[in-house]
Amino acid sequence: MTRQERAAWMFTAPVLAIILLVLVLPTVLALALSVTDYSLYALADWSNLGFVGFGNFTDLARTPLFWRSLGNTALFALLGVPAAIGLSLATALLLDAKTVRWKPLWRVLLFAPYVTSVVATAVVWRFLLNTRFGLVNYALGWVGIGPVDWLGDPHASIPAILIFVTWKIFGYNMIVFTAALSAVPGDLMEAARLDGAGRWARFRHVTLPAIGPTLLLAAVMSVAGFLQIFAEPYVMTLGGPAQSTTTVLYFMYQEGFTWWNLGRASAVAFVLFVLILILTFVQARIGRRYEWL
Amino acid sequence: MLAGAEIACHKARMKCGRERSGGVTRRGVLAGAAATGLAACTTRRDPNALRLWAMSYEGDYSPHLMPAFTRATGIPVEVQSLPWTAAHEKLLTAHAGGALPDVMMLPNGWVGEFALVGAIAPVTDGALLADLFPATLATVEHRGVSHAVPWSVAPQVQFYRRDLLADAGYDAPPEDWAGWREMGRRLKRRRPDDYAFLMLLNWWDALFTFASQTGTSLLRERDTRGNFRNPAFREALAFYRSLFDEGLAPPIVSTEMQDPLAAFAQGYFTIYPSGPSLLLDLHRRRSEIAADRWGVARMPGPRGPGPVSGVSAALAVSRTSTRPDAAWALVRHMTSAATELRFQTLIGNLPARRSAWSDPQLTAPALAPFAAQMLDLSVDPNIVEWERVRIEVQLIAERVVRHLMTIDEGLATMDRRVDQLLAKRRALVQAGKLA
Repeated sequence: MTRQERAAWMFTAPVLAIILLVLVLPTVLALALSVTDYSLYALADWSNLGFVGFGNFTDLARTPLFWRSLGNTALFALLGVPAAIGLSLATALLLDAKTVRWKPLWRVLLFAPYVTSVVATAVVWRFLLNTRFGLVNYALGWVGIGPVDWLGDPHASIPAILIFVTWKIFGYNMIVFTAALSAVPGDLMEAARLDGAGRWARFRHVTLPAIGPTLLLAAVMSVAGFLQIFAEPYVMTLGGPAQSTTTVLYFMYQEGFTWWNLGRASAVAFVLFVLILILTFVQARIGRRYEWL
Repeated sequence: MLAGAEIACHKARMKCGRERSGGVTRRGVLAGAAATGLAACTTRRDPNALRLWAMSYEGDYSPHLMPAFTRATGIPVEVQSLPWTAAHEKLLTAHAGGALPDVMMLPNGWVGEFALVGAIAPVTDGALLADLFPATLATVEHRGVSHAVPWSVAPQVQFYRRDLLADAGYDAPPEDWAGWREMGRRLKRRRPDDYAFLMLLNWWDALFTFASQTGTSLLRERDTRGNFRNPAFREALAFYRSLFDEGLAPPIVSTEMQDPLAAFAQGYFTIYPSGPSLLLDLHRRRSEIAADRWGVARMPGPRGPGPVSGVSAALAVSRTSTRPDAAWALVRHMTSAATELRFQTLIGNLPARRSAWSDPQLTAPALAPFAAQMLDLSVDPNIVEWERVRIEVQLIAERVVRHLMTIDEGLATMDRRVDQLLAKRRALVQAGKLA
């Protein structure tokens, strides 16, 4: 080992140690827990703890609520990621336009929801979405749409929560996109315009390649974020109505902390871990294909 | 959380001290204000204080019971209030992390569970267990030993709007299911936009009250398997669903009903099955709904009122308490008839001590249905999974009410799901490790 290498190891050692301690070790322990039937009975008496191999996983496969929560999570991600990224990109493009004035003000206003507390805003949105007295239904009434039972109808509950989540988080990616857009070369844009490229062609061939890596990053983070959605259904619907907003993480929380079936909860955590890993891998491959990475 | 607050306290005080020495500055005054605002966290570190955790109103109002105790014994008490929705996980994680308070409130259904995991100590003073309703005493036992002292009893009853019922031609709600539903239909005909009953679909109490009134037992084979596919429970579930099918009750969950009492006062529904804690709300908000506009009656049964679960609270002492004697003294104080009567005037909680019931304070007409129900309590299965069984059965019942399943599919699913939940218990019972 050269002197330089030794120095490099010394500088990275603290971080590596922390990663080992707070990331790798808990993951391995959770994996170990997921092949046991650790439950209240084991908490009472260690002799009640048993090794069950893949029992927790086969048991999960037979639990309808687990599949329902996977489906709900997939629905959240499928609808939520395009909605959140689309809205962020659209507002970033709007804010990037030369004719817009007071840009810092708009940026702050649109970013504000992201830094407010989830619980406080969720409670306010619960009032907004109230079937009888809510402002949302009041506004819909003007355009002749009958009252929607947002948080009570199993078909409307996911859209209702998505409206809230999108409103809450789009500000973050908007700022990221604003930064990326400012790096789009102006002369390239000018040249494209002189060559007769329309708005769409300029966006597709100049802007998009320039912000590609940022877009990929935003997509990876958003997918991971939406797969781990928890606080919003926990505060707004408690996983209901008819378990239509029970997500994988909510299911895991209930198994693990409400009922103390830590074996099963760890199995859920492991499944979620693998899912996010696979999705991120696929996204990275797509990104590499378009030479964004 | 606590640690964070303490650090903030500490910082605020340091800052304050340093800046005051340099004369009064604006920032110094602000920091001083912050320090006084955080003064609460300095009392939290009182090493002599006993810690008490209680849920909801019991937690909010327990501090009022403490001055008498502190005067008599010289022991200060810190009370922390927990919300019901997070209480179970908070207590379990506290036990796993060795951070349980000295004394805690537990609903009777959780006593067996916390005794099993070794979180709470057995009751050694027999005097604490005298003068109680037998049905409540059965629920605090684990392996034949009492592990908590019943504190209050809260059987479900129905609160009804006297004026709206009178409009429909009733003095009081009928006591059998058929009559009750017929009353609901009449109320609905008079006020088609409103509802007769409020039974929130994510709460199990209404369905389980109907079930216990039929007298059926919901588990079989030493409480190791579900027994939901029996005619009596089927009748209860069918009755429950019919109330929603006929539009007599709104199919909503608790998050959609932000203020049930306001809705009750506005006449959005006429009958509100609930417990004694509603008495406090009704008293506090009597400007919205005058005392002569509501009444209380026992819940209807298939053919007249029957036994109802006395969902109630008990007080337990943690095994890790460093001062068990002081902790038991606090339990003795809080469960004395006199303190329970005082709590009754404060928050409506009904005393678990039988002798308290001969007090004139409990002869108010609104309390008579409770007193009658108290003598007819059902006994819930005393197993650790019972809380979860009730919640999961209610989840399936919600799907039945929403017509995502037929009644028979629902009953079969309940049995299957409950058998799954009880698998570990079944294995332990068969191995002779559990009774």
